[in-house]
Amino acid sequence: MKKQLWLLLLVLTLIIAGCSGGETNSTEGEEPVETSDSKTLVIANGTDIVTFDIHDHNTTSTEAVHVNMFNYLVTNQGEEGFQADLAESWENIDDTTWSFKLKEGVTFHNGEELTADDVKFTLERVAKDDTLLEHGNYNQIEAVNVISDYEFEIVTANPEPALLNRLSRLGSAILPQEYIETEGWEVFLENPVGTGPYKFMDWQRDDRLTLEANTEYFGDAPKWEELVFRSIPEDSTRVSELLTGGVDVAVNIPPTDVARINETEGVTTVQSPTQRVMMLVLRSDEDSVTGDPLVREAIDLAIDKQAMVDSLLEGAGTVTRTRVTPGNVGANEDLYGESLYDPERARELLAEAGYPDGFELTLTGPNGRYLKDRETVELIAAMLSEVGITVNQELIEWSAFNQRYQERDFAEMFYIGYGNSMFDASLALDRLTIENAEGETDYDNQQVNDLLLAAEQNMDEEERAQQYQEAQEIIAEDRPQIYMFQLDAITGINERLEFEPLLNEMFYADSITLK
Amino acid sequence: MKYLVQSMIKTIPVLLLITLIVFLLIRVTGDPVSLMLPETATEEERDSLRESMGLNEPLPIQYFSYLGDLMTGDFGDSFRYNTDALSLVLERLPATFELAIASMVVAIIISVPLGILSAVKRNSFFDLFITGGAVLGKAMPNFWLGIMLILFLSVTFQIFPVSGRGTLGHLVLPAITLGTGIAAEMTRLIRSSMLEILEQDFIRTARSKGLRESIIVNKHAFRNALIPVVTIMALQTATLVGGTLITETVFAWPGLGQLLVQSVNLRDMAVVQAATFIIAIFVILSNLLADLIYRFLDPRIKYE
Repeated sequence: MKKQLWLLLLVLTLIIAGCSGGETNSTEGEEPVETSDSKTLVIANGTDIVTFDIHDHNTTSTEAVHVNMFNYLVTNQGEEGFQADLAESWENIDDTTWSFKLKEGVTFHNGEELTADDVKFTLERVAKDDTLLEHGNYNQIEAVNVISDYEFEIVTANPEPALLNRLSRLGSAILPQEYIETEGWEVFLENPVGTGPYKFMDWQRDDRLTLEANTEYFGDAPKWEELVFRSIPEDSTRVSELLTGGVDVAVNIPPTDVARINETEGVTTVQSPTQRVMMLVLRSDEDSVTGDPLVREAIDLAIDKQAMVDSLLEGAGTVTRTRVTPGNVGANEDLYGESLYDPERARELLAEAGYPDGFELTLTGPNGRYLKDRETVELIAAMLSEVGITVNQELIEWSAFNQRYQERDFAEMFYIGYGNSMFDASLALDRLTIENAEGETDYDNQQVNDLLLAAEQNMDEEERAQQYQEAQEIIAEDRPQIYMFQLDAITGINERLEFEPLLNEMFYADSITLK
Repeated sequence: MKYLVQSMIKTIPVLLLITLIVFLLIRVTGDPVSLMLPETATEEERDSLRESMGLNEPLPIQYFSYLGDLMTGDFGDSFRYNTDALSLVLERLPATFELAIASMVVAIIISVPLGILSAVKRNSFFDLFITGGAVLGKAMPNFWLGIMLILFLSVTFQIFPVSGRGTLGHLVLPAITLGTGIAAEMTRLIRSSMLEILEQDFIRTARSKGLRESIIVNKHAFRNALIPVVTIMALQTATLVGGTLITETVFAWPGLGQLLVQSVNLRDMAVVQAATFIIAIFVILSNLLADLIYRFLDPRIKYE
């Protein structure tokens, strides 16, 4: 009986293992990772895309997939500036009017030709429908006036220096008007059609999205025959898929797995900065203990940010004294890559401020929203206690945290990380104008306020950037926000590939090539 | 038949209560708007989104309008996917059923022979080994077992694929992960149930007739020992569904469990409500099925 049972189990295992064939490799342990196919690129994301309605989501990881199917009018290449995509040329005619010329002969995946009417249809939809999640980033557009099949003008309500930033990010891919109007949105969402190098094949929600090469693409011919975006929420599973060659690229690798991946032959990791900057936000009104600039400076000097990057993030971050990091319009690079740490001076400042024996304050932070958020808050509290500040830590779940964040209901300090999908200083600093700071930091610096408001509508690029840079210097001294570090993204890749991650975290499949 | 109708009627208040509890829980645990918009969104943007999702109405009004829609089979739309919640849930059922059935098969393959052997060889080293193993099997958390199986059988030995759904091979590790806990419970139950039966008079009679031991065990004792086992199998259906939440996430298995986990995380209310409703119906039906199987296994049981 016993023998029969074990025999049966063994046979079953062998049969099932036999059936699984194809997709797995039979190499063992430390041998180099192999992948089966040079025509297919498999990318593992932590989440699935949410929709094909480009106007009704604000998820970077979804946009990272969409950029392979759709095109923007222009693309933002960071330091290289704006590059033509669907638009051939553009010009700023006056403060509120921009004229554009489209490339001719561009076709959608269904064969329709791209014209200025498609641009009008796409941009006016998101500019006018306030139920769409991206509406807030496009309602500055008043109208799109079609001049001819390939020419059009965009009119904004107010001077809009950041218009090109808006047009080069999620929500502004150009959609096929005729297809959507005749077939309806439901059909479009089931069978999306764009102008991009890859076209839709199949989407199994929470499993995989498959795209195939668009041989009619107006740009360079697509490099891959097929793209597969897999959704693998569990970090360790994503890492295992990378190690076994199941996927070519895996995003969001936890810092703790980096060494293990790098030690395995055939796979490696690449690190690249993201737009997210982690920071402490401090109340600077007179009623709060942190209202005293000396106290805020002492808090800044008491925290060793570099140590946090080294120990908590295993190096996957960069210290900074500004939220506007390189690659963004208006960045002040003098403040980037450095941080202040001097606990001795912090103690002196506290004594000077009238707190020789320290004081107590409350620090609120989300638990589980950002990489190592709880650990960071705990470490900050420990470092502050070294200089005599007793910190009451309040770590709460994200949605509860967010509720209080909206109600501006925090005590002296809270810990948060902001992204910046606009690649412009305006979004990064807009919480520090006197009006927006009310109830949150109550930061009240007339000079910063004037600089920010002037820059917001300044159409002179150079002067505008200078205004933002000056504001950042004052903010770095005033410290209504104390910046901890900019987070890096860690991506695991198969060594057969050449891949340089982008600051905007997009995956342009054609920028990932075989070595 | 009368019994069936009565049972069906009894499920209505249960389902109503479930809709109310889920409705309230998902609303008191967080605001979906805060999870859908970035940190930098303005108050106006939040308000307008809340209004477009109907979240600015008082709770009782929201609930009754939800119930009203439910009567017409409308579970509302998913915030995340912007599509009909019920069809999202139904689309995932095959994957979850596939995993659930495979796990049950794994549980039966493991527990039936081990449970019987353990009872027949009572108090032997073998029995001790099996009962000890059962405790271990029950104690192992699914996510840990899943990750260990991946590391051992997929990364080190590369026998099975790591994750996803597709070939039969993809099914093996998640089914073992999910089936182990159930197997542990069933092994212990089959053992104790067999022990009880083996001491009864009719077994002694069968032995005194000179029947072979294998016939006594397999034919006479095991069939009678099945009755409590069937109960536990039905009750395990609920555990199974609970287990899929974790197992599907670990193995990136595109089933109902993963959908539910992600929807809860994002407070995608319509999907959570639709998924729990369908799961509730599933659990109620499997309990009913257990009642009916009893009757088949033991004709003495009558439903009046």
